[in-house]
This record gives sequence, structure tokens and C-alpha cells, in this order.
Amino acid sequence: MLLLLFLILQLVSGFILDSDDYHRRVSLELNPGLNSSVPPGVSLLHIQARGANDTLHFLFCSLGAPTLLLVHTNSTSSSVKVDWPQFLSKNDSGSLQVEPRSSVQYSSALVFTRLWEYEDVNNTADPQNMPSSSFFPPYELQSFTWGDLNKTLNSTAHTAQLCGGDGTSSFSNGSLCLTISAFESVGRDHIWPRLLHNANSSQIHVWLKGVTARSNYSRFSLELQTVGSRELPSRVDVVRSIDDEYTPSIFQVSEWVSSPVNSTSPVLGYSQWKPVAYRTAAHILEGATPCRHSSPQPMAQLPPSGLVKAYFGDGYQTSGLNITFGIAGDPFYSVTNYLSWTVMVGLGSPPVDSFSPLVIVIMAVGLGTPLVLILLGGVCVCIRKRQAEPLAYEPIN
Amino acid sequence: MAVREERRNLLDEDNSLSSPVRDDSGTARPMAAICDPSRIHHRIVVLMFMCFLGFGSYFCYDNPAALQTQVLQDMNLNTSKFMQLYAWYSWPNVVLCFLGGFLLDRVFGIRLGTVIFSLFVCVGQVIFAAGAFFNAFWLMALGRFVFGIGGESLAVAQNTYAVNWFKGKEVNLVFGLQLSMARLGSTVNMNIMGWVYNRIQDLMGHAGHTTLGVTLLIASSTCIFSLLCALVLGYLDKRAERLLNKEQGKTGEVIKLTDVKDFSLSLWLIFIICVAYYVAIFPFIGLGQVFFIEKFNFSPTQARAVNSIVYIISAPASPVLGFLVDKTGRNLIWVLCAVVTTLASHMMLAFTFWNPWIAMCLLGVSYSLLACALWPMVAFVVPEHQLGTAYGFMQSIQNLGLALIAMAAGAILDNRGYLFLEVFFCACICMALIAIVMLYFVNYLRGGELNLSASARAKLQKSSSSDSE
Repeated sequence: MLLLLFLILQLVSGFILDSDDYHRRVSLELNPGLNSSVPPGVSLLHIQARGANDTLHFLFCSLGAPTLLLVHTNSTSSSVKVDWPQFLSKNDSGSLQVEPRSSVQYSSALVFTRLWEYEDVNNTADPQNMPSSSFFPPYELQSFTWGDLNKTLNSTAHTAQLCGGDGTSSFSNGSLCLTISAFESVGRDHIWPRLLHNANSSQIHVWLKGVTARSNYSRFSLELQTVGSRELPSRVDVVRSIDDEYTPSIFQVSEWVSSPVNSTSPVLGYSQWKPVAYRTAAHILEGATPCRHSSPQPMAQLPPSGLVKAYFGDGYQTSGLNITFGIAGDPFYSVTNYLSWTVMVGLGSPPVDSFSPLVIVIMAVGLGTPLVLILLGGVCVCIRKRQAEPLAYEPIN
Repeated sequence: MAVREERRNLLDEDNSLSSPVRDDSGTARPMAAICDPSRIHHRIVVLMFMCFLGFGSYFCYDNPAALQTQVLQDMNLNTSKFMQLYAWYSWPNVVLCFLGGFLLDRVFGIRLGTVIFSLFVCVGQVIFAAGAFFNAFWLMALGRFVFGIGGESLAVAQNTYAVNWFKGKEVNLVFGLQLSMARLGSTVNMNIMGWVYNRIQDLMGHAGHTTLGVTLLIASSTCIFSLLCALVLGYLDKRAERLLNKEQGKTGEVIKLTDVKDFSLSLWLIFIICVAYYVAIFPFIGLGQVFFIEKFNFSPTQARAVNSIVYIISAPASPVLGFLVDKTGRNLIWVLCAVVTTLASHMMLAFTFWNPWIAMCLLGVSYSLLACALWPMVAFVVPEHQLGTAYGFMQSIQNLGLALIAMAAGAILDNRGYLFLEVFFCACICMALIAIVMLYFVNYLRGGELNLSASARAKLQKSSSSDSE
């Protein structure tokens, strides 16, 4: 009984976590401050999420490698100023500013730099231990040609989609796409991995569709780099959870966080993902494939992204890691020619999952009903006993 | 596998095993002890064949669970289709539980009936393997259906043989041994099939549905072995009949479906406990391997080992717990303990990361305890002439529940994940808990005898038998 009570308490406490109800007003703006026409292949998406007394700016750009830049200011009237000639020439930093500069509290960027492809003949899915001869030349995402964000912008759903390829035969029938979504409040995506988001986060869904693999045993690996302040080292936390309701059979979530060296201080920014990728366009359980990450390594220079070069100056460091898709024995990419992965980028601490109300109700009813019955039955038995007492002694004749 | 083997057969032993052996010419001849059907040596040989009779069907029943990842990947299935392999096993037994005794007594006779059912088991497993080999899921489902027709009825035949060859206290020991052999078959299956698959994969050079087909065909060799045991048993039984002039054994089951309307509330509550409890055990073991791999980061070998621990524990625990329940009585309290322990075990697996060995060991003990305490309760609430019907009905709805819940479990897992599946199983156990609590109070308030201590029950039986004299 004690064990049951303890488990019930754990259950209930999991539910009564801080439900994050902060709201923001989200608006999307393409190429802010640009008067003349833009050369094809470059779009700068500015997502502005205004809260009660702060603003979160998300900037998504395909100049160079696709980048998501996150800037948090403590003013409700901050704005983004772009010096377009300087910005397009990718010359020096400072061509993109968030005004007023003094209000900027935190900024970081996530850059998708390379897509690695390797030939996994022995079916071990372990690129870190493979000879370099099994690696094909990586796809440099900075040299991809991207579609126009204007066409795929959805202001009501706060999403935009960027698709592109490198023009070679591999991408003749397919493309690499990134969909960025911004959110006004707490919620959950409707397709797996159904990451929990709040007003401080945005989600990027990356997928490869129809791209021809260069061998029958090809597996892919995505290289990510993150740019942040030099005083904030980054690490990847793997958090285990008992709840896999929203992503069946996945009991972990990986969080690439930047927080001060003292590990008890709060996390300032994160990239969060579940270690699963999907090999089918309909995200179903049979199409799930695990993915792993390598440990973050410091990089010598800023990533090849126009947005990063425009915004960040000195005092910032870059670290990178690889997300490897698939494990030993999994089907290869060429079986379905589809691979999809989702990452959440945001401010503050990563959101924590909790039980759905249905689970709570089922457990409460399931455990409560027998207890109620025992009580009722005990009461009946007591009443019976009291009623039966006068009849205990009967005259002999 | 459903709990046919835990059922007590209430046929009176009236075998005349003490008469001297006479051959066809009518003169008594001395025979080697091992060839003499009236001597214990021969009966031990027969016991060995009897135990291995069911080995093949128990080995192959849990093949899908032992090869879960391989089946899912090679046949490209989702979990609800995978669980259909278990559902199709249970469907024929919804009806066959009532017919099994009849078929063995009136239509085929025990000897021919055993061989026929063994044949069904063999053929079913071969069709199942062929379905995997040719990448046809419908053929695999058909194979499991045919396998199911033979599997449960074979257990009835095994019990009938046991009661005909052994008498008195020996029967309990034989039932216990048969149960242990069954559990041994399940355990060996869980731990070995993965290794066999890997060897075949190395031999064939690739994994795929052909590898799976070959592996399942190798598993069917155990069924062929059981078929041989059935043939040998049939021969030895016929020989004993000839030498000892005894009749061919009967199951003694009399099924009258009209008796169902006479079942008491206590009996219906026992039915509910039986169904609600077992649907939280067998489908869980069917899906256990991947659960342990994904949640607890076990290797496939470790996951299969922990999945089989329920069966491993059940083999020695059943006779010990049976002895305990016989000595102390108070069946209701034991059933309550078993249900609460199972609930705790499922909640541990669902809501914590504690080492699953603990939870699974608890599950094994409570599963054995429930079997020892629950099935004899039917005999306490049902008059003897209705006992066959009551047991048949209990088996039938148990198989119906297993078939439906197996499919439901697969669908739940595909859509909502393991936590929700475990919560669902907890809810089933809670239903069993509600039923046992209600049964306790119904029994108490109506003055029933389900919860008597062993001494009180012995007194009651003595007074009722002296009353009838």
C-alpha cells in the first residue's frame, strides 16, 4: 500500500509542474527594411514574438548556411535593422543589428552547416569509427540554392518552409527542406515527435525527400553548429523520462544547452530534440529510427553563415556536433528515400513533459474505486455485525 | 499460453493398475519392469513422453515474442498487426474449450485425438514459417490459427493421459511436472530463438523474411518431436490397454451450456478476475522485449532473459505456492495478494526506472500464486456436475479476452506508446482488484466458503460427507 501511495504521489507531482502559460504575440516579416528587389536565393525571415515586457526575435536566413538566430531583448519596442548592401556582400559584422542594443539580454544561433553521407557496408551505423574513405564529399549547405520563403510563408500558422538543393544529380528529384514554426503559447505539435513548445521556443523540422543516395548502403549525418557567448560553454544533457505518450517508444530527450559553468545556474538557451528520426513521410512507429549525437566540439571559427557573420562580432564562440541517423541493422536511406528530424530552439530552460490528463484520470479511477469499495464494504460489514449482535444469544428452549 | 495446464481434472481415478499383466494367450508372463505398464518404471518412461508432448506447442507459442524485433522489421509490421499473431491463436479456443473434451471422448478417442492435435500444432507452425518465408502475413495468421486449434486441446489430452496413468497424490506431482516442462519450453524459446536467428543470418548473409522463415521452420522441429511423443504415447497406451484390460481414458468432461444460467454471482466474479488478470500478463510478455530494450536500454539478449523470468520463476514456484495455498486455505486472501502484487509490479514498470528484474520477479511469483489460488475456487462454488461447463466457460472467455486485448494492446502501443499501454494493463488489474474486493464482501456477507482456512474446509468436507452417509 505504501508503495502504491508513493507511486501515486510521484504521478501527481509530475502533473502539477509549472504549466507555462506565458503568451506572446507573433508576427512574421520577410526581408525587414528592404526596398529594392532581392537577388534570388536569399530570404531573411524575421519572427517577432512580443511578450508582456520583453521581445524575442527569431531570424531565419538562407544566406550561406541556413541559420536560426535568436535574440532576446527586455524591451517591447525593439526592432531589427539591416544594412542590406553590407549584409548581402557578407563583408563584416554589424550589418544586422537589434535596436536598442542595450536591451539585448541573450543571443545565440543554430546553424545547419553540412550534410554528411557515408557508405555503411558493414551495417554498423557508427560514423565515428568508419574510415574516411567510406565518407562521400559532404553536402555544404552554404552552397545550396534555396527556394523563396515568400511563397511558403504562412502568417496565420506562423510557419515558413525553405527547400533547396545543390543542383547536382542527387538533388534532381528531391530536396532538403527546413520548416520553421513559431508559437504564441504552450502547445504541442500534431505529428511525432510532438515536442512540447512554449512561447519562448521555435521549432525547425528538417527533412530529406527524394534525394538520391550515392550508394545503396548510405546513411546520413547532419552537422550542426551553435554560436553563443564565450562565457557560456555548451553541453548536451540527455534527460530520461518515463513518459513516452507523445513519442511512442522514446524515453529520452536530448538538450544542447548553454548555461554558466556553475551547473546549478539556470539554463539560458537550448536546442532540444528527441533522439528519433522518421524514415517515412507519415511519422509512424515502424518508420522510426534512432539518432545519436556526438559530443559538442569547440570550432575554430564562426560558421559559414551570412547571418552569423552579420550579427556576431568578437566574444562569441562556436561549437559543433553531428546528429547521426540510424543504428546498426536499420534499413538504409535508399529504402524509403525520406528522412526527417525535428529540433526545438528556445530561450530559458527547455520545456518538460508531463502526463496527459487521461493517464491521471485512468490511474485515479483505477486505484480509487477498489479503495472506495473496501471502505464501503467495511462499513457494510460493521453495520451487519452490529445488527447481528442481539441475535447472538438465543434461549435454549 | 493460457492456463489449461493449471486446471485440475476431477475425474475419479478408477484405473485398475494392480491387476496382473496377461498377454493375449491369457497366461501371466514375467516382463521387464520397464516394459510392464503396471510398474512404476514403465510409468516414468510414459511420464517423460507425456511431459514432452506439450513441449513443442509451448515452445512455439511465444516465438513471436522471442523474435519480436525481427518479425517487426522483416515483415514490415506495426505492433497491432504483430499482436494479431497472438489473437489468431486465441480465437479458435473460444469455441474449442467447450468441444475439446467432447472430441477427445466421443469422436476421436484420447490416442487418435492426441495425434491429430499434435499434427495440427506441427502443420500450423510450418504454415506460420512458410508465411514468413514467402512474405505473406495472411499465411502467418492462418498458421497461428491452425496452431491454436491444436495447442489448447493438446493440453486437455495431456491432462487426460496424466489422470489415466497416475492416481492419488501422484497426479498432483505429474501435473506439476507437466507445468514445469511447459514453462521450460517457453523459457528455452525466449532465450534461444534470438541466437538461432543470428546464426541463420550469418549463414544466409542477410536478414530478411527468408531468414525469419528458416528460423521458424527450425522451431517447428520441436513440434515434430512432440508429434513423435504423441505417436509413442498412443502406442504405449494401446499396449497397456491390451495388457491390463483397461478402457481407453476419458476426459470425463460433461459440458452443458444451459448450466450457465445457474452460475452464481461469486462465479461470475471469479470469471472477471480470471479474464482481467491474464489479459495483463500474456500480451505484456508478448510485447515485453522491445519495451525493455527501449525504456531500460537493455540489450536484446538481456531483454529476452528478463522477459522469460516470469516463466522461469513459475516453474519452481507453482508447486511450492500450491502447497502453501493447500495448507493454509484462505484462497481469497491469496488471490488478493497476487492481484495487488501484480498491480505494484506493473506500476513499477510504468512509472519508475527501477531495475525491471525486480518487477518481473514479483510478476512471476504473483502469477504463480494466482494460478494456485484462483482455479480451485471454481470447485468450491460450483456443484460437481457443472464443473466441466464452468471450467470450459472460464477458458473460453479467457481466450476471448486474450484475443481482443492482444489486438487492443498492439493498437495502443502504435498510437500512444508504452506508458499508456502499461497504464491500460494497470487498469485491467484494477478491474481484477475491484472484482476480488467485491467477491470478498459477497462471500463474507452471504456466508460463503471461499475464504475458509484449510482446517475449516477439511472439517466442512468431513461433516458434509458424514451427513450424506
